[in-house]
Amino acid sequence: MKMKLMLSTAVLFFVGGHLVEAQKTKRDTIPQDTKIDEIVVVAYGSQKRETMVGSNTEVKAKQFADRPITSIGQALDGASAGVKVSTGTGQPGSSPSIQIRGIGSYGISTSPLYVVDGTIYTGSLAAINPNDIASFNILKDAASTSLYGSAAANGVVLITTKSGRKGKDAFNFSMSTGAVGRSIPEYDRVNVYQYYPLVWESIRNGRMTSVPGTTMADANAYATAQLISGVLKTNVFNVPDNQLVVNGVLNPDAKLKYTDLDWQKPLMNTGFRQNYELNYSGGSNTTTYFSSVGYTNETGYLIKSDFERFTARLKVDSQVKSWLKLGTSISGVSSNGNNSVDGADNNSAYINPYRWTRTMGPIYSPYAHDPTTFATLYDKAGNIVYDAGSARGADAAAGRNVIQETLLNKDLSKNYYIISRAYAEIKVDPYLTLSTNAGYDIRNNRRSTYGNKIIGDAAPGGSAEKYSFTEQTFTWNQLLNYKRKFGDHNFEFLLGHENYKYMYEYLYGYKKGQIVDDNDELVNFVTPSSLTSRTDNYRKEGVFSRLNYDYKSKYLLSGSIRWDGSSRFDKDVRWDSFWSLGAGWRLKGEEFLSNSNLISELKLRGSYGEVGNDGTNSYYMYKSTYTLGYNNAQEPGILFGFLADPTITWEANKQTDVGIDFGFLNNRITGSVEYYNRVTEDLIFPVPLPVSAGVPDNTISRNVGTMYNRGFEFSINADVIKTQNFTWNINANASTLKNQITELSNGITEIINGTKKISVGHSIYDYWLRQWYGVDPADGSPLFLAADAYANTTAADIRTVNGQKVTTNFNKAKYDYSGTAIPDLFGSFGTSITYKQWSLSALFTYQLGGKTYDSNYAALMSSYSQGGALSTDILDRWTTPGQITDVPALNSSTYTSSNAGNSSRWLVSSDFLTFRQATLSYSFSPETLSQLGVSGLRILVSGENIWSKTARKGLEPSQAFNGTASNRYTPARVVTIGFNVSF
Amino acid sequence: MRNIAKQYIKWAVVLSVLTGMTSCQSDYLETDPTTAASEEAAYSSASNLMAIVNGMHRDMYYRQNDSQGQNGQGGIMIMMDALGDDLVFPSTGNNWYISTVRWQDQVNESGSNDFYPYQFYYALIRNANLVIANGPSVPAPTAADAATIKTAIGEAYAFRAFCYYMLVQIYGKRYVPGTNNTQLGVPIRLVANEIPLARNTVEEVYTQINNDLNEAATRLAGVTRATKSHFNDKVVLGLKARIALTQGNYAAAAAAAQSARAGFALMDNATYTAGFNNLAGVGEWMWGATIIADQGDTFSNFGAYMSRNFNSTNIRQAPKAINSKLFLLFPSTDVRTKNFDPTGAHTSLALPSTYAKFPYTGQKFLAASQADSRVDVPYMRSAEMYLIEAEALARSGDEAGSKAVFNVFAKNRNPSYTGATTTGAAYITEILNSRRLEFWGEGFRFLDLKRLNQGLDRTGANHSSVVTNNVMTVANTDLRWEFLIPRSEINANPLIVQNPL
Repeated sequence: MKMKLMLSTAVLFFVGGHLVEAQKTKRDTIPQDTKIDEIVVVAYGSQKRETMVGSNTEVKAKQFADRPITSIGQALDGASAGVKVSTGTGQPGSSPSIQIRGIGSYGISTSPLYVVDGTIYTGSLAAINPNDIASFNILKDAASTSLYGSAAANGVVLITTKSGRKGKDAFNFSMSTGAVGRSIPEYDRVNVYQYYPLVWESIRNGRMTSVPGTTMADANAYATAQLISGVLKTNVFNVPDNQLVVNGVLNPDAKLKYTDLDWQKPLMNTGFRQNYELNYSGGSNTTTYFSSVGYTNETGYLIKSDFERFTARLKVDSQVKSWLKLGTSISGVSSNGNNSVDGADNNSAYINPYRWTRTMGPIYSPYAHDPTTFATLYDKAGNIVYDAGSARGADAAAGRNVIQETLLNKDLSKNYYIISRAYAEIKVDPYLTLSTNAGYDIRNNRRSTYGNKIIGDAAPGGSAEKYSFTEQTFTWNQLLNYKRKFGDHNFEFLLGHENYKYMYEYLYGYKKGQIVDDNDELVNFVTPSSLTSRTDNYRKEGVFSRLNYDYKSKYLLSGSIRWDGSSRFDKDVRWDSFWSLGAGWRLKGEEFLSNSNLISELKLRGSYGEVGNDGTNSYYMYKSTYTLGYNNAQEPGILFGFLADPTITWEANKQTDVGIDFGFLNNRITGSVEYYNRVTEDLIFPVPLPVSAGVPDNTISRNVGTMYNRGFEFSINADVIKTQNFTWNINANASTLKNQITELSNGITEIINGTKKISVGHSIYDYWLRQWYGVDPADGSPLFLAADAYANTTAADIRTVNGQKVTTNFNKAKYDYSGTAIPDLFGSFGTSITYKQWSLSALFTYQLGGKTYDSNYAALMSSYSQGGALSTDILDRWTTPGQITDVPALNSSTYTSSNAGNSSRWLVSSDFLTFRQATLSYSFSPETLSQLGVSGLRILVSGENIWSKTARKGLEPSQAFNGTASNRYTPARVVTIGFNVSF
Repeated sequence: MRNIAKQYIKWAVVLSVLTGMTSCQSDYLETDPTTAASEEAAYSSASNLMAIVNGMHRDMYYRQNDSQGQNGQGGIMIMMDALGDDLVFPSTGNNWYISTVRWQDQVNESGSNDFYPYQFYYALIRNANLVIANGPSVPAPTAADAATIKTAIGEAYAFRAFCYYMLVQIYGKRYVPGTNNTQLGVPIRLVANEIPLARNTVEEVYTQINNDLNEAATRLAGVTRATKSHFNDKVVLGLKARIALTQGNYAAAAAAAQSARAGFALMDNATYTAGFNNLAGVGEWMWGATIIADQGDTFSNFGAYMSRNFNSTNIRQAPKAINSKLFLLFPSTDVRTKNFDPTGAHTSLALPSTYAKFPYTGQKFLAASQADSRVDVPYMRSAEMYLIEAEALARSGDEAGSKAVFNVFAKNRNPSYTGATTTGAAYITEILNSRRLEFWGEGFRFLDLKRLNQGLDRTGANHSSVVTNNVMTVANTDLRWEFLIPRSEINANPLIVQNPL
């Protein structure tokens, strides 16, 4: 009965069935009546899908091959239930952040582990050409991941690269080209005509408040007099400063002296993307090969942001002897590009182009104008002259010019990668296979920046920086695999050992005082400001084993264990064991279902396991240290730099997973329903210490908490129509997520950090904010709920409104929980349609529930703008007694409370629906092509980030898992056309 | 036969693969950072122990909290003047320290500037505590090593006293001489631990400060310091004088000030107008920082805000001026007035036209060049000792003795000065006015106003009501004279009590 209920639920719901996609490809090439086992890539090997007990979503190349993406990370968005993506920025070549099944940790890494061709890969995803990938598998539960032990807590993504096929030489060429634009529009902001009277109003009201006894007339006159000379410094209208705004009204005779007031247009336009791929593959009876070259060139919609990449790859697999198989692959990648400013890291920096094009008041021009004719000025060479910002208000980057600085400064990165893999597989006897995999990756990064001499941080001398780092990882494992069948009992036993070694070498130099122009090398600068280097080492070692058993592929059992040691912990707590147990019952294998036409597949499975996480921010988190480099003139100096808890150790992730996989009507409808409960113990938190302890950053990282992530995952895939000429497939997935802290130990009861507070019974992304109450209709004052300590005091800033104790002073506001950044439901849905030679696919992603703390919007809602831009919502400000509004009066006296951060006023719904991706293609028929000697030809149009609906224009809700916003490079919309041809 | 050979090859391959399983060394998982020194290394030798003290002196001019406006002691000095009446910001410029001028920092418990002094001084205190606790067990194979260790510990005590003195002045209510000062000061932490501590009373904090100064004085007696960035016995005496003046121990203040200044002759008039940028070469400077080229922080250095010539937006648009009312109290023969230009033109500096000109701006501090913001940062000068002695003697009733000291000082600054003619309260005001002019920009004013219980009055001078946001007067009873305890301390310390708001 319960079974039935779950089944009907499953049918009602949905989710992304990549299963069917996979089988469909098989079916194309295999005679209908032969039952072929679908083999799926798993940890350290492969397995028949029907005997698997873990959660493993496979995504084939076909599903992302046509997309104009630079990193495989982008293909993970929407690919599987439970996978949450924080969208990458618009910087070409950037990768998104990914979390699988909730937020695995608070203080340390929440990113999944990537494994390329059987070997751990910790390099950049941008170094892997998506077109070299045959498939990737997302492993979500402990049964699937625990063999990766200490690195597996956040899930694993297995990437399998393309190989050649025996006896079939193939040659493919594809190219695409297209345009790159901005996907999310800017916030609506007031215009130049609206702006002056608003600021005037702030000054006037502030004067009335802060100088008691001032008459309205005096305050009006004061505001009129101070508006330009005191506050805004620039008058773009052709009337005298003291007649610009009189009694709150913009002078009706005022005409603009010049109109080039737009800061976004000079920096943001249309970028260009082009991509070329060529691959050649084939094989004899004993040897197969795959080789490819690729070229990608993308310029972002922000000026001076681009990415260019060359990739070359060769993979050869060879059955050298009947008992020995060898394989090697090597890929060389070179990429380079202009880096845009990282908005999240430089949120309020003067060089942040997203911030300053957003918040620059509408009254300032980026260009200089003749003081009498108001004509735009050009220098002798005919170049436009930029405004140096000497006449701007305090909120308008006085003295800076983000356009000019962006154009003149340089920030270039070059990366060179070699990714190499080798393996040997020895069949010792019919049952025993011994294999070894080695991976060596090296990345050399060189970055150079130039700070111009004319304006900004490096002026007037100019500066140059050179960064260089070399990153090497070496992984080597040895595996013994024993596989034997006793009647209907199938056993498979694995024993393995693995070493992982990572080395990072960094060198940095910084000099100032440029000697001759147009040379950014350090030798061309006079004064050394910094010269430093460092080396980091990180190592791990593990021993592991797995036993799989099945009876007639009906009753399935799997167990694994791994012992891991990590150099990130002290030797007493360095080693730990991780394990999992899984079981499955494939009901379809039972007699009562074997002949069912309705139910074509049905499997129950479940697993429990414990995996670990050592992804700490530092490689030496257990050692207290003094920081070098605090030299006092010629004297060597050190300063206490890091306080460690020497007992700090692994976070343990205990994961339970139960699921049903089903297929109906000859697998026309397939899907699965899963429930997981992921408990992280020994959570590492940066535990706040009293500032009076004098510890750098005022925290110590300790293992002090327990939390869970729980959720249901639904995925369904249906071939609605399946005829010779017309197919229509729909797929959808949905995930719920509940995160909660269940325990804090060591005397810690709460941890307040930024806009969040951690405490038992709350999620790690629950907001802890000043409680915004609204606006007092009587005088337009901003109101917060009063903190308990002040609620019953008598002070001018404590009021009672509707029986509620409120305060006009943000420093007396009550802090409380205010919702969470975690969504209730998220996922994706998509469709693909083929009609004759046409095919169309589309993917949407969505989120329901959760809130964003929109600090970008807050910056546009100042009650006393001193040159900064204002949202059009400011037009709803309080102006008249009795007026009901949520926007306080503009007032230069009370603005610090109205504008106060950490306030629930700035929360907004994170709900979104995004048209993430679509591709339309046309394949020419083989008959048409055969005369040309071509075996396949397709032309296609493809787009990314096509459309989005959010709660507020300008808002970008999926930019950070914790719900915060920053002035960052909003993602790009990329639309390309292309073709691919094969011979 | 062939089969056997094949088997051999196979097993050789198997064996070679299997050796990989056991090849790891026992120290394979031992790694060490390369950018930091272990605690053991720090306490392993006298010179390493001294390196901690050197690091603390460096921290006095090191950017804190990644904030450009928070450069060690220099940033706090600017704040202490921005809160006062003598340092005038003629324009909002690019906003640096404007919230301080508007008295918004100290009431915003989650604000960065409210947090900055608290964090800065307690971090130094932790280092001092570590030196004091671990110093005695540092190996001292030679007598020179023993002397170095003693000096390091002595300096650590001096540092701790200095830091607590700053903290209690900023976060506590003013010290009221003649009372038992049970009002809340700051927590006293004398060992480097992390346990929550309640606030001690202001009196207890001052008692601790004096104890530490005595410990420092014992250890630093007769020690020759390498550079003037370090403490020595004279600087410790200078701190004693400062603190005694705050506590109203006038006799002790006068005595300490007199001994402290011995050997630190006042600068001559030519030196006075040479840009305040020569710690080593000017005898009057007792303690300060000299920043060498690769240790400066272009837009964060003290001189990046307080000099007249450095080419930064802040200086171009909001050069710092002197309170015109104060300026006009002094005759033009007083050399100190030469460091200010009532017209703002500063012709001698040949400032480019992009530099905004405002009346009464100061050229007291001149940076190394327009491209190099470094100036030496003065923490203590013997002029202060003269003025402390004069004020202390006057307040203890020895006006004649006071004038003897004051006149020496005043005549140095103004060769035409004929000696103080005022008496009583008017005379004390004359000393204080001289002190205001003398220490313009050196971080004394807010703390002096608080010490003197005077309230703030910016009226009648060149303060702009837009820049100050109409904060022109603040009564001496206002709660804003105490910075709030930062929210991050309250969040992690249940024993702390917030200042009234």
